[in-house]
Amino acid sequence: MQNHEFDAIVVGSGITGGWAAKQLTEAGLKVLMLERGRKIEHQVDYENETKAPWDMPFRGVGDTELYKREYPVQMLNRHFTEFTQDHFVNDADQPYQKAKGSEFDWFRSYQLGGRSLTWGRQCYRWSDYDFGANKRDGFGTDWPIRYDDLAAWYDLVEDFVGVSGAHEGLPQLPDGKFLPAMELNCVEAAMRERILAKYPDRLITIGRTANLTEARPEQGRAHCQYRSICARGCSYGAYFSTQSATLPAAKKTGLLTVVTDAQVTKLDHDPQTRRVSAVHWVDTKTGEAKRAGSRIVFLNAGAFNSVHLLLNSASEAMPNGLANSSGVLGTHIMDHANTMAAMAVVPGFENRTSFGNRPTGIVIPRFRNLDKLDGDGFTRGYSFQGGALQGTWTRGKRMPGIGEGFKEEIHKIGPWTMVLVVFADSMPRASNRLTLSKQLDPRGVPQLEIAFAHGKEELAALADAKKEAAAMLNSAGAHVVMGFDQPGHGGTAIHEMGGARMGWDPETSVLNRWSQSHDVANLFVTDGAQMSSSACQNPSLTYMALTARACDAAVKMLKEGAI
Amino acid sequence: MSTPASGWTRREFAGGAALLALALGIPAAAVKLTDLDAADVPSDRQRKLIAEVSELVIPKTDTPGAAEVGVGDFVILALAHGLSGTRDPVATGVITPALAPFRRRDGPLNHLDWLERRLDHAAGGDFLRRDKDEQSRLLAAIDGEAMAHGAAYSPWVAIKGLILTGYYTSEVGGSQELRYELVPGKWEPDIPIQPGDRAFSSDWTAVDFG
Repeated sequence: MQNHEFDAIVVGSGITGGWAAKQLTEAGLKVLMLERGRKIEHQVDYENETKAPWDMPFRGVGDTELYKREYPVQMLNRHFTEFTQDHFVNDADQPYQKAKGSEFDWFRSYQLGGRSLTWGRQCYRWSDYDFGANKRDGFGTDWPIRYDDLAAWYDLVEDFVGVSGAHEGLPQLPDGKFLPAMELNCVEAAMRERILAKYPDRLITIGRTANLTEARPEQGRAHCQYRSICARGCSYGAYFSTQSATLPAAKKTGLLTVVTDAQVTKLDHDPQTRRVSAVHWVDTKTGEAKRAGSRIVFLNAGAFNSVHLLLNSASEAMPNGLANSSGVLGTHIMDHANTMAAMAVVPGFENRTSFGNRPTGIVIPRFRNLDKLDGDGFTRGYSFQGGALQGTWTRGKRMPGIGEGFKEEIHKIGPWTMVLVVFADSMPRASNRLTLSKQLDPRGVPQLEIAFAHGKEELAALADAKKEAAAMLNSAGAHVVMGFDQPGHGGTAIHEMGGARMGWDPETSVLNRWSQSHDVANLFVTDGAQMSSSACQNPSLTYMALTARACDAAVKMLKEGAI
Repeated sequence: MSTPASGWTRREFAGGAALLALALGIPAAAVKLTDLDAADVPSDRQRKLIAEVSELVIPKTDTPGAAEVGVGDFVILALAHGLSGTRDPVATGVITPALAPFRRRDGPLNHLDWLERRLDHAAGGDFLRRDKDEQSRLLAAIDGEAMAHGAAYSPWVAIKGLILTGYYTSEVGGSQELRYELVPGKWEPDIPIQPGDRAFSSDWTAVDFG
């Protein structure tokens, strides 16, 4: 066996890269973690965390002129503000192409911690309605795993991450190992009862979120302070991120080397051994080309970037891209179809309010196409996320009036509204795919080209969601004032996934049931790229559980000498 | 670079803003106007006008009004940098003959020029020479028309929005007129509203969606 400097190289430092680094180092492996972006140190580099709007040159709103020039895509993200702009990529420096007729807003965070710093923190288990979906309706390829394969890994991940949530006993959204739930506010609690009375299969429950409701002193993490400014970075370590949780754990082993500003460009494949033999990167600060070797490689660069790297690693032996003997690499990418299905005013709670900023909303888990196929024009599911909230000064922008009376009105806590945003299953389609563009990025690497469109199934699901959201809210005493059934651009759910799908058959899938390449035994892809279907839940928890499972398998294979 | 007729240069304007910041004891960052292109530097009269108009919208009560916290200058900065879509080209369909003269060569409207002309037109002369009650009455009419349900496009909507942003994201507006709590520390899901309770400027979800 070749003598390598590292046992494992992990490409990427986000949710799954951090997890892989932690678990592999804790298993005794010497790990190199490569991150393309800059270093951000926990508690030290969260520059705008505690600033007030009046401390900011553009009051937290940000410089639109700058954003149009350098962040034209990122600025479309609701979480992109003047406070958080340094946690997102500069689009001008990190270009990508969209295929003709495709719309895709690709929200990215290239930095140590990746999008674990800016994520929405929602953590949901998938169920066998999800892992069995492709087999049931014939879209995509059958998942080579089921819930039972993953349940113990969900347990492990939740235990470490710290997920607060309520046990509800729903088969379509299995309960996890939860920290105490954050409570519903008065309107959400009332709506839960009223909707349940009329629709016994539709349950409002609190969003399951990776924000600690109890401190984790052993991890150096305090409980949530209810600021809800998570994407600025949290020095309390109250939400799960690479910086707050996995990186310190990995560092504690003394076996982790982290290199930032390292854009991985290519993997070398040795046709004799059929293994990845080296990882190449560019030091983005100096332009210097570097390389390292390892016994195993974990790709955790983010779904599209992991695929990009494989496509860009074509060789004589693998002319269509590394690990792509099947030819499906890059295909069947997905992103949840999402839109605001309903916004309603809710009368009757004028003298009630809440204190603190709860960093999660509510969820109404999937109720369509469970044991009975009852979707009109769609075979999968959707679920709602949202919540009830009261207005503040920004509502004045829509109100007529000037002067003392107007100021006095804005002074008051605003009326209650309830919002339901729908996320629908994205169907795996061969035509939604990633390819290499002929355009190069500023470092000379071919850009990624994204071809993506939602299809009629997603549109049917969103039409049903709009109708049902309005029916539920109106029946519960709210008054729906608007709702939409057309999805946002691809990418706007920020759940882009697929492209290196898992499957039973090496001829029709890229990865096996251990997130391991069918073609290249020492290559694992454990970020969103591995997904064979999308479900309608937020996917990060499942990525982490699959990563934990793959790390365990890889370590066993190494010990057995299988790889 | 041509010097605007008002005699304001970019440097003087920025200097003025810094002095204003000093006088008010608010961080200079909040009113930094060093980046303005010559074309975005308003006339003296426009600068006075937007300050007075902001005060008409948010007057001094038991807390300071918009003029006192420099909202006019924030609006100038915000317009120069295109906040709230003010540098987006205006769709041809919504350009009326009344708006056409204020369209910039690159598509968007010059909001301050429009406001100045609109107010003087409403006043039948110099708006700034009318008394406060008359100014309020004239502005309220423009506001009522622009904010009415189903109203035609009016630049006033964006200007008013920026006045509110300028005021309620200032320290006075955000933490005296409203409540600002950076670290609530706890979540209380259901509590009664007491008479006089102020809204939170630090309820970020409400800022986005409310």
